[in-house]
Amino acid sequence: MKKFIWLLTLIVALSMILTACGAAAPAATEAPVVTEAPVSATEAPVATEPPAAPAEPFRVAVIMPSAINDLAFSQSMFDALTRIQEEMGGTDAFEFVYSDGMFNVDDAAAAIRDYATEGYDLVIAHGSQYGSSLQEIAPDFPETSFAWGTTAETFGVPNIFAYEAASQEGGYVNGVLAATLSTSKVIGIVGPIEVGDAKLYVDGFKAGVATTDPAVKVNVNYIGSFSDVALASEAATTHIAAGADALTGTAQMVVGAIGKAEEANALWFGTQSNQTSLAPTIVVASQVYHWEVALREIITLINSGTLGGQSFKANLANGGEVVEFNPDYALSADATALAESTIQGIIDGTITITLP
Amino acid sequence: MISELFTVTVLIGILASGIRLATPYLYASIGETFGQRSGVLNLGVEGQMLLGAFAAFYVALTTGSLWLGILAAMIVGALMGLIMAFVTVNLHAQQGISGIGFYLFGLGLSDLLFQKLMGTVETVKGFPPIKIPWFSSIPGVGEIFFSQNILVYGAYLLVPLAWFVLNKTTLGLKIRSVGENPDAADSLGVSVARIRYFTIILGGTLSGIAGASLSIALLNVFQQNMTSGLGFIAVALVYFGAWRPWGVLGGALLFSMVNSLQLWIQVLGIPIPSEIAVMMPYVLTILVLVITVSRVRAPSALTKPFERED
Amino acid sequence: MTDSNKLPSGQTRIDSIEMRGITKRFPGVLASDHVDFDVKSGEVHALLGENGAGKSTLMKILYGMYHPDEGQILLNGKPVSIASPTDAINIGVGMIHQHFMLVPSLTVAENVALGLPSSRGPLTDLDRVSKRIVELANIYGLKIDPSAYVWQLSVGQQQRVEIIKALYRGAALLILDEPTAVLTPQEVDEFFVIMHQMVKDGYALIFISHKLHEVVEISNRVTVLRNGKKIGTRPTSETTKQDLANWMVGRDVDFAPDRGKVDIGEVRLKLENVCCGNDLGTPGLREVCLEIHSGEILGVAGVSGNGQRELADTIAGLRKTTSGRVYLEGRDVTGLAPGDLTDRMLSYIPEERMRDGMIKDFTVAENMILREHHKHQFSRSGFLKLKDISTHTDKLIAQFHVKTPSQETLAKNLSGGNIQKIVLAREISRNPRAIIAAQPTRGLDIGATEYVREQLLDQRKRGAAVMLISEDLDEILALSDRVAVIYEGRIMDILPRQNATRERLGLLMAGVHPEEKAPA
Repeated sequence: MKKFIWLLTLIVALSMILTACGAAAPAATEAPVVTEAPVSATEAPVATEPPAAPAEPFRVAVIMPSAINDLAFSQSMFDALTRIQEEMGGTDAFEFVYSDGMFNVDDAAAAIRDYATEGYDLVIAHGSQYGSSLQEIAPDFPETSFAWGTTAETFGVPNIFAYEAASQEGGYVNGVLAATLSTSKVIGIVGPIEVGDAKLYVDGFKAGVATTDPAVKVNVNYIGSFSDVALASEAATTHIAAGADALTGTAQMVVGAIGKAEEANALWFGTQSNQTSLAPTIVVASQVYHWEVALREIITLINSGTLGGQSFKANLANGGEVVEFNPDYALSADATALAESTIQGIIDGTITITLP
Repeated sequence: MISELFTVTVLIGILASGIRLATPYLYASIGETFGQRSGVLNLGVEGQMLLGAFAAFYVALTTGSLWLGILAAMIVGALMGLIMAFVTVNLHAQQGISGIGFYLFGLGLSDLLFQKLMGTVETVKGFPPIKIPWFSSIPGVGEIFFSQNILVYGAYLLVPLAWFVLNKTTLGLKIRSVGENPDAADSLGVSVARIRYFTIILGGTLSGIAGASLSIALLNVFQQNMTSGLGFIAVALVYFGAWRPWGVLGGALLFSMVNSLQLWIQVLGIPIPSEIAVMMPYVLTILVLVITVSRVRAPSALTKPFERED
Repeated sequence: MTDSNKLPSGQTRIDSIEMRGITKRFPGVLASDHVDFDVKSGEVHALLGENGAGKSTLMKILYGMYHPDEGQILLNGKPVSIASPTDAINIGVGMIHQHFMLVPSLTVAENVALGLPSSRGPLTDLDRVSKRIVELANIYGLKIDPSAYVWQLSVGQQQRVEIIKALYRGAALLILDEPTAVLTPQEVDEFFVIMHQMVKDGYALIFISHKLHEVVEISNRVTVLRNGKKIGTRPTSETTKQDLANWMVGRDVDFAPDRGKVDIGEVRLKLENVCCGNDLGTPGLREVCLEIHSGEILGVAGVSGNGQRELADTIAGLRKTTSGRVYLEGRDVTGLAPGDLTDRMLSYIPEERMRDGMIKDFTVAENMILREHHKHQFSRSGFLKLKDISTHTDKLIAQFHVKTPSQETLAKNLSGGNIQKIVLAREISRNPRAIIAAQPTRGLDIGATEYVREQLLDQRKRGAAVMLISEDLDEILALSDRVAVIYEGRIMDILPRQNATRERLGLLMAGVHPEEKAPA
């Protein structure tokens, strides 16, 4: 009997280690994942100067709900941290570690607490589901700064920063383009759960479609999960069967949906990360988050002694959001011009997006 | 708007996507049925599916051969089954908890390999739909039943095959007896250990194919934790199906059909909140389970390790 | 087919099987110590011994389930090696286990076919198997439907399936491991008829039992084992029950313990028109009326499953009455919870002692205080008084001769007799006013049985009212002052002991009032 308990322990331990390896590989010691160089139509304006490198490296830990290479939400943060690291001059100045795949909130809370205990300068809880955990943990570590997104809520806790993306802005641009390009005049949206970032994006997209062509029908499908790739893909199939020839979707489970769009030769509009690589023939444009805009400000504040209490919004105007076009997709000059002018309109305020 | 549900397009759409969605459940649940009929509860199905999905995807991506991908998924699933069998049969480990261990193992390992070997989400060209001559041209029915890919056909052929093996062969008789009264089987010279090894490895192999059906036949991508609890639902479907292949088929179809129905309800804009819509398959499945309170019991020796009495 | 060497099933007979010097050691125990045993075609050789005497070990060796450390087995005078049940089956040895080796969810035919090669290769050939089952069953007039599911069969029928299973596999020698333990008296009679016929036909039968009267009735020779050693083998005709009992236990056994004369006191326990349901939802008890007095043992006789369990459970507060009242010392206790009944000094020795009488994974000490752990004697404001519990347990272990390595031993690691002693110690040491004892000696060996009976008589002497529910008529007759017979949930009659003859009780147990029997 002893023997099996021992072996069982070993197996469970082994699986924990493997989960942990998959999740908490320190990025500082490893070559960061090379991402496709994004081809951006609008140059990201630099909002603030990169913070000056102090003698000690600035240490950041981040907890993310899905994989760092999910081509969506988690990857957007990973890419941002990688860019910050480059800006600040490598691992001597900026170190970051991550735990990804933390779809279980309890595990995430434990990880947040661990990182805080280990004395990281900034612990980022990248996912709105981590809010209540953070609200409990942060007051226990008044010397550590925490950030969470996507939200504007800091709970009034002095060491919590909040960040969010105005994802309705890119959604609106995508919507304008989709309405222009759709010939069947039916567009499908695959969403996870009807809250937060996903809802903002979907509502912005619908507003963009409605302004451009009120005759276009937009079908929305929330599948109730951030990870069910199979159901997301079936949702896309359903949209196509219902006549859609342009699709969009948000969150990491849409990777399956993009494949279905490609099979049916329907257009795809991405968000959160550049999803062109998945289906180079049909992806028209992707809204990409550049969290470094918020991160730079947060780092500057921390270095000057402010540990929280403020919230940041990434949008088209401050470069926190960029609409990246697929160079391989032959977008007509008219459509390109329309998109550019929509982006400009949102930035200068001549276009206001009305959300329901 | 409700009336729109009853148009031909929608009905065909619901049936066709229900048939597809049920595919991975069928492989995994039929495999699990064999295990449970022999007295072994394998809660590691999800982990086996994830590893199978990854193995199939990665091998298909690197070699370009989908069949090699399937083979890889089968081997990986079988290996997981082999270890599971060793731990539960030889070491008499508590099946529930070791199953969870195998799930975590599969989840962690598939994610690790995904990040190390691939680095980013990629796509492959999966199994194309095979139109069965003549049948596929029958209006409606043809699209639903006879224009699917090979793994979908395979899943549905598996059901009668499993039924046949369990009920009409000496092997099936041994499996059933080992799950109900291993002492009796043992006293008649049936090797309980060998039968359980067989069913657990078979279950692992089929779970591997279930994973492959997602990654190289239905979705054609691999994403971390892409099964998203599907393996656990597959285990639940075995209970739903009262440990019978046809019952499992009924459960898998009911669950999948309702899931595709709720997708259509949302797409057609029928004013039901999405939160309610996505609960429908779960609620309905539980309701059916409650209403048809099954007289069928679980195999008596389920989760019980076998050891000759001293 | 006239070959005298052939058995009716077509199998060649086994002239003799001889086990020589069989020794088997388990860690810490010498389970079989140089035992010789043999059985011949056409005889019933009984193997008699207390629990743990080594009967099962010896037979499991013969059936290939254990491998002996020393000794050899001769088949018709030639040494054979029996390394597995398959080997045993191949040389014609079959075993009917005490706990049937049947799969309830399979049909009779499937159970018989299990593990055998099929004439159709990988496919089953249940139609052929069924045909053969019917052939074999007809030889002994057994009625068996091959397509019936085993769970649908009565215990007696299941036993027949076991016999058919062995015959189907070509058994010429059958090891019958306590085959009568689960049978009703009628079924035992029918079973013995079959045994007699088989012996006549040339089968060799080994009959394991600790019921002396059965051994005397059915066997040709008897071998007694004690503590792994063979005490002796004799033709049954040259022994008596008393001799065999003394051999088994190793001392003189008192079969009819002195009941003594006890004055009957006031009514302690009274049931008035009590009705209740059973687990199947049909009536379990119908209008049961009875009274038990202080200093009296009321025996409740009946064939298993006629409401005994419902009767005990109802009085103990474990089952709801649908109508009627239960009185304890004149007070209405109908519907009271078991805890309240405990407080009113009712003790209960349940039939399923391992399931209802104790907690297997608790220690001896914990089991000793299960009923009264919350009393101030054993706990103070929710905390257990471990020292007092330990003292109490030590006292009871000594007083009731419980054989246990320590107080901390888990109950499940003790023998059945010692477990029952713990239950008795817990239930009796509190000097209850009334005791319900359900099948208190079932499955116990002679020594433990004797002890339990003495304790019940002591309680009677002390003035307790005792209800003894038993399916063993010998026990009922040895202990009771009055005998009630229960049939289909009804009390058929209550007889004073001197009027309670076996014949009379037998008829009542079958649901027939002797008075109703039409005179010839």
